[in-house]
Amino acid sequence: MNKASIRWLYQELPDLIAKGILTKEAADKIQQHYGEVKNVTKTTATLIILGILGSLLIGLGIILLLAHNWDQFSRFTRAVLSFMPLVLGQCIALWVLKNRPQSGAFKEGSATFLSLMVGASISLISQTYNISADAGTFILTWMFLIIPITYLMQASLPAAIYLIGITIWSGIYWDNPLKAVLFWPLAAIIIPHFIWTLRQEIYVLRTAVLSFIMIICISFAASFSLGKTWPGSWIIIFPSIYSIFYFLGWLKINKTTTNWQRPLRLVGAVGLFIFAFQFTFRYVWQYLGAYSYGLRDFSGISALPDHIITIAVVSTAALLFYSNIKRKHLDIALFGAVPLLAMIAYLVKEQSVVFPLLIFNVYLFILSISRIITGIRSSNLAVVNVGMLMLALLIIARFFDSDISFIMKGLAFIIVGIGFLAVNLKLARSLGGAK
Amino acid sequence: MKNRLMIRLFLCLALIQLVVPLSMIARREFVLRDGAQFKFKVAPVDSYDAFRGRYVALRIDENYVPAIKNEKIKRGQAVFVVINLDAQGFARLSEVTTGRPRRGSYIRANVSNVYNDKIYLDLPIDRYYMEEKSAPLAEKIYQRYSQRDKKDAYVVVRIKDGFVVIESLYVGGQKIEDMVKQGMKNPNRLGLRGIR
Repeated sequence: MNKASIRWLYQELPDLIAKGILTKEAADKIQQHYGEVKNVTKTTATLIILGILGSLLIGLGIILLLAHNWDQFSRFTRAVLSFMPLVLGQCIALWVLKNRPQSGAFKEGSATFLSLMVGASISLISQTYNISADAGTFILTWMFLIIPITYLMQASLPAAIYLIGITIWSGIYWDNPLKAVLFWPLAAIIIPHFIWTLRQEIYVLRTAVLSFIMIICISFAASFSLGKTWPGSWIIIFPSIYSIFYFLGWLKINKTTTNWQRPLRLVGAVGLFIFAFQFTFRYVWQYLGAYSYGLRDFSGISALPDHIITIAVVSTAALLFYSNIKRKHLDIALFGAVPLLAMIAYLVKEQSVVFPLLIFNVYLFILSISRIITGIRSSNLAVVNVGMLMLALLIIARFFDSDISFIMKGLAFIIVGIGFLAVNLKLARSLGGAK
Repeated sequence: MKNRLMIRLFLCLALIQLVVPLSMIARREFVLRDGAQFKFKVAPVDSYDAFRGRYVALRIDENYVPAIKNEKIKRGQAVFVVINLDAQGFARLSEVTTGRPRRGSYIRANVSNVYNDKIYLDLPIDRYYMEEKSAPLAEKIYQRYSQRDKKDAYVVVRIKDGFVVIESLYVGGQKIEDMVKQGMKNPNRLGLRGIR
C-alpha cells in the first residue's frame, strides 16, 4: 500500500473506532502493522529546492570567477588554488555526512556543490596548463569523479549532472558511433540510483526531475549514437525508446497520481503520438535514408555495438508490449504499438509508400477513438478531449495533404464520417443499454 | 554503522578526486621541467569556453605532413608526429608514424583529415588561456602585427615522450602578456586606440 493510502486509513481510524466498527486494539494493531508515515511537509520540499538552487548558483559562480583567469598569480599559486574549491566542497560534504546524514536538503545541496567544484578544479588546471580543447576527456574525467557521490550521499542532482555530462560527451563524438555508443553502458551506471528513487516516496519531485532529465538526455544521446549504420533505422529506434518510457511510466512502482508527476508516461505518450503522426506523411517514407545524418559506412565489428544496443532497445519495447497484452492492458499496449507498426511499415515500404501511410492513418484513427471511448466509459472529460484533439489533428493533416487526389480524399472522408456515425450509434446504444 | 561505511567510502572518493587533478598537474610540471623546447608558428584567434574561460585559439601554420606511402591512415586515428627544426629554428612537422619513434622529439596527436596526399593533424597545441579582457586584445595585437609586417606569432612548448605542454605565446618577439599590458597602458603606441 502506498503512503497516501496509509495516511487516509489513519485519518479514518478514529471515526471507525467511534462507530464501533473497529476496536481500539485493532486500530492500534493496524498502526503497528503499517508503521509511522513520515509526513513530508511543503517546507521540507522548499528547503530541498532552495538548498539545491543555492548550491548550484554558488558553484556556477565560483566556476565563473575562476574562468576570469587571474593571470597575475604564479603557476604555483594557481595550482594550489585549483584545489581550494574541491577541498571546500569535500569538507562541506563530509560535514553533512557526519552531522546531517538524514537531511535530504543538506545532502542534495552539498553533493551538488561538490560535483560542480570537481569541475571547477579541473577547469582551473586546464586553464593554467593550457590543456588542449579535447572536451571529451575533460567531461569524462569530471563525470567519473562525481558519479560515486550519487551513491555515497543518495543525491540525485549529481546523477542528473552526470547524465547531462555523458550526453554532451556522446554529442562530441556523434560522428564516431563507436565512441558515442558508449553512452549506454555509461548511463547504465545510474540505473540502481534511479530505481532507488522510484522506490523512495519521500519526495516525488526528485523522481520527476530525474525522469525528465533522463528522458531528454536519452533522446539526445540516441540521436547521437544509434542508427548510424543502417539507413532509416531511426523510424524504429525512437518509437521503441518512447514506448519504453511510456511502459515504464505504467509500472506499479510508480504510485504517484498526476500527469506532471509521471513524466515517463506523459512524455512517452506525447512522443509516440508525434512519431505516429509524422509517419502519416508521405515525405517521411520517401526520404527515409536521407534523414539519417552522419551515416557512415560501418560494417562488421565496428557496427556491432550500434546493432547490439538497437536490438536491446527494440526487444525491450517488444517485450513490454507483449507483457501488457498478456495482462490484458490493451489500452496501454495500443499506445506502445507504434514501434511494432513502424517495423511492419519499414518492411512493406519497398512495395509501396501507400502501405506505411495506410497503417499509421488507421492506427491513429483507432488510437484516438479508443481514447475517446475510454474517456466516455470512465467519464473522464480530459481523456475524451485528448482523443478528440488527436483525431482533429489527423483530420486536418489529411484534409490539407496535397499528395492524395481530391476524389480519394473526399471518399475517404465520407467513409470515415460514416464510420464515425456508426460508432456513435453503437456507443449510444451500449450506453443506453447500460442504463 | 552504515553511515560510518559511507564516510569511509567518501574519504576514498575524496582522495581519488584530489589525486586525479594532482596527477594532471604533476605530469605537466615534469614536461615543463624536463621537456625539449620548441617554437611553433601560430595564428591566435580570440575564443571562449563557458567553464575554462577566455582563451586565444592557436592555429598552427602547416599542420599537415605528406601522406605515408603504402599505409592507410584514417581520420581520427592516433599517430606520432615527428618534429624537426627549420632554418629559422622553428618547429616543423616532418612525418607521422603509427609506432612510437625511437628517438627525436614527437607529439601524440589525432589525424583530423586526409586529403590530397596530405595528413592534417589535430595537435594538442590549440588553446592559450588568458584573462578575459586580455584575450580579445591579444588577437587585435596579433592582427595589427600580421598586417604591418610578416606574421611573427609563435608559441613555445615543451615536449617529452610525446606529451606537449604550452609554455608561452609570443607576438613580435615579446611575450603576449607584456604586449597586452603595454597595450592597455598605452593604446596609441601599438595603434590599438578604441579597441578597449
